[in-house]
Amino acid sequence: MNESGEMKTFDRLKHLYPNVFEPLPLCWSSTEKNNSIGLSNGNLRVHYKGVGKSHNDAASVRTNCPIPASCGLYYFEVKIVSKGRDGYMGIGLTASSASNFKMNRLPGWDKQSYGYHGDDGNSFCSSGNGQPYGPTFTTGDVIGCGVNLVDNTCFYTKNGHHLGIAFRDLPPRLYPTVGLQTPGEIVDANFGQKPFEFDIEDMIKELRASTKAAIFSFPLPEEQGDWTVIMQKLVSSYLVHHGYSATAEKFAEITGQRFSENINSIKTRQKILKLVQMGRIGQAIELTNKSFSGLLDSNQNLLFMLKCRQFVEMVNGSDMDGMNHPSVIQSTKNNNDQNNEEDYNSENYSIYEDVDIADQQQHQSFKFKRINDYIENHYHDSNSEDVDMDDTNQNNIQTTITNCPGDSLDEMDVDVSPLNKSTIKSGIERMLELGRELLQMSLRLEKKYQNTNDDLIAQNRKMMEEAFSLLAYSNPWASPVGKQLSPSKREPICIQLNSAILESINYPVRPPLENCLAHVRQLMNEMSKNSLGSCAFINLDSIIN
Amino acid sequence: MNDRETNIKDWEEQLKDFYIKQEDLNRLIMDYLVNEGFKEAAEKFQEESGVESGVDLSTLDNRILIREAINSGRIEDSINLVNQLHPELLDSDRYLYFHLQQLHLIELIRDGKIEEALRFAQNKIAEAGESANPDILNELERTLALLAFEKPENSPFSDLLEQTHRQKIASELNAAILRIEHKQNQNPRLQNLLKCLLWAQSELDKRNINYVKMTNLATASFDEPK
Repeated sequence: MNESGEMKTFDRLKHLYPNVFEPLPLCWSSTEKNNSIGLSNGNLRVHYKGVGKSHNDAASVRTNCPIPASCGLYYFEVKIVSKGRDGYMGIGLTASSASNFKMNRLPGWDKQSYGYHGDDGNSFCSSGNGQPYGPTFTTGDVIGCGVNLVDNTCFYTKNGHHLGIAFRDLPPRLYPTVGLQTPGEIVDANFGQKPFEFDIEDMIKELRASTKAAIFSFPLPEEQGDWTVIMQKLVSSYLVHHGYSATAEKFAEITGQRFSENINSIKTRQKILKLVQMGRIGQAIELTNKSFSGLLDSNQNLLFMLKCRQFVEMVNGSDMDGMNHPSVIQSTKNNNDQNNEEDYNSENYSIYEDVDIADQQQHQSFKFKRINDYIENHYHDSNSEDVDMDDTNQNNIQTTITNCPGDSLDEMDVDVSPLNKSTIKSGIERMLELGRELLQMSLRLEKKYQNTNDDLIAQNRKMMEEAFSLLAYSNPWASPVGKQLSPSKREPICIQLNSAILESINYPVRPPLENCLAHVRQLMNEMSKNSLGSCAFINLDSIIN
Repeated sequence: MNDRETNIKDWEEQLKDFYIKQEDLNRLIMDYLVNEGFKEAAEKFQEESGVESGVDLSTLDNRILIREAINSGRIEDSINLVNQLHPELLDSDRYLYFHLQQLHLIELIRDGKIEEALRFAQNKIAEAGESANPDILNELERTLALLAFEKPENSPFSDLLEQTHRQKIASELNAAILRIEHKQNQNPRLQNLLKCLLWAQSELDKRNINYVKMTNLATASFDEPK
């Protein structure tokens, strides 16, 4: 199958079974089959290659995994390519609890197996005696088998027509199964790789609608108190948590839902969060230290994360003293072209578009090493000496960065006007200073968590290295590590800082509303794990959006 | 720690793994504020969160006037306003109409206008009470029972005198107006989310599956109800 075909299959299956995260049955098992069964065409085609003298020569095959309950309504079709000599074919299901799948029988004849047979049209429910069910089927017919995992029933279709319910009270974890018995019998399965003959989507739509109706009409129980008030509390605590202070005040005025946190404390948090959202991390740290003293001192990992972000924002040009400065890297770059003023403040990076990324990558490790070495050496030097950079070191920076050959960084200015020179130096200086601080912090934290929290160490190291590696690119935004520059990456940091502040003043780290939503997701997992098929038809996104 | 406490702890750990996009919930909050007619709060929220309300907030004005009337105890005003806006609404929803009259009765009792309250109950509400709805009868009895206490605010029925009771009726009326204006299910999505939670818990309960049940949604806590 070609790539676009696979993509279509994936889309179709995702569309039919959006809430399924377990593997779906997609082909016949090459091990769970009788020796008289031959498979071909990507294990979708089954042919009989036995002697076919009696019932004892029957042979069947099942899929490699069972139907996940989170499908809700599962469906597959089998096309009869050839009825062979006698057309003794059975299509159906077997349960995994049948400790040994009887591979030399047709589905339906044994315990925990269910089948619809072509020669007589009977349905077989764990018994050798069939019940009259539907028409017979033969060469050219397409037989579908649907399993409703909400009410645990099974129905069949023939050439796109529903034949009615065949089985009830089905056990969980069923495997699609086919059985053949006479020479020449060939069938092709379709587990969703191709469009179905029968309109299964229509049935799924109906089930989704009825589940939604059941949810929307679910009564609100009285024992938890008045639901008007419960919703007001959820909204109020959410507004306060995220620092929407003016909304929270207005809301409290209308509803009388008071909140306990001091309004000034909420407003301060709001300011801090706003600073983070704008990328002005340095100021956010400063305000946090001023307003919630000791918080970051006792939460060094959080501080480390903030400082890494500060480094990233310096590259971004966002972590400044409130003025709209361009990125450090950008400003140095732009000095080549003093006429190109608009590039200073705008997000217009078009002049870098011609930079060959592969070329950058080639030099990346080299440059990164240089920069890192520089910071590291300086850090080791400064163990005994002062931390401030002297003139020599400043020159070193220039040389280190400007001497990288063969890439656009080497175009970086070596001959700038005095005014620009000082701004650039202070920008780079600030960045390297922060880089040294980060290295120091990371060493201290690694010592502290050595052997006790290796995950944390690895996580911190990765964060720092990713931040540093931005320096290796003349156009960091287009670099392979450029994603971290996106403002959307500030949100998780915002959430963590806010939670830490709230925790420090004895409020929950997450508002109840968010826990309710997480709880619903977890309940759906639990339903799926416990074979409650109705979880398939909940579209949480359509409920909240 | 006993088993249940351990289970709760594990469950809470698992909940942390679900990353929740703030933007999604901001939209849910905005939907709630607009739906409930909290215009000023919706305006502030639009400013603070950047989430658009998606509606012209001035269309909320009528509903706001009605809610304000109820919240400040001017029930007759609110009834007049509703009748101007949707003359057919209170005729077709007698239960809602009863709740508004009941609220008026409560306001009379609150103001100590005992005789007027009795007259109003006999003339206006008794007819509603005669209808076969046992809920109405029961609620009417609870309300009139307030008269038996010298200090009704200390009686077992004091919940009727609380501000939240006014808000409850205001929300009920607001939902009815929305229904008539949109002719479809117009519950706030927040309410649908809570219903989804309760429905899923009941599905798991039906099958006797062991899980950690949320017992207090307002605080999202799992403690055994007392």
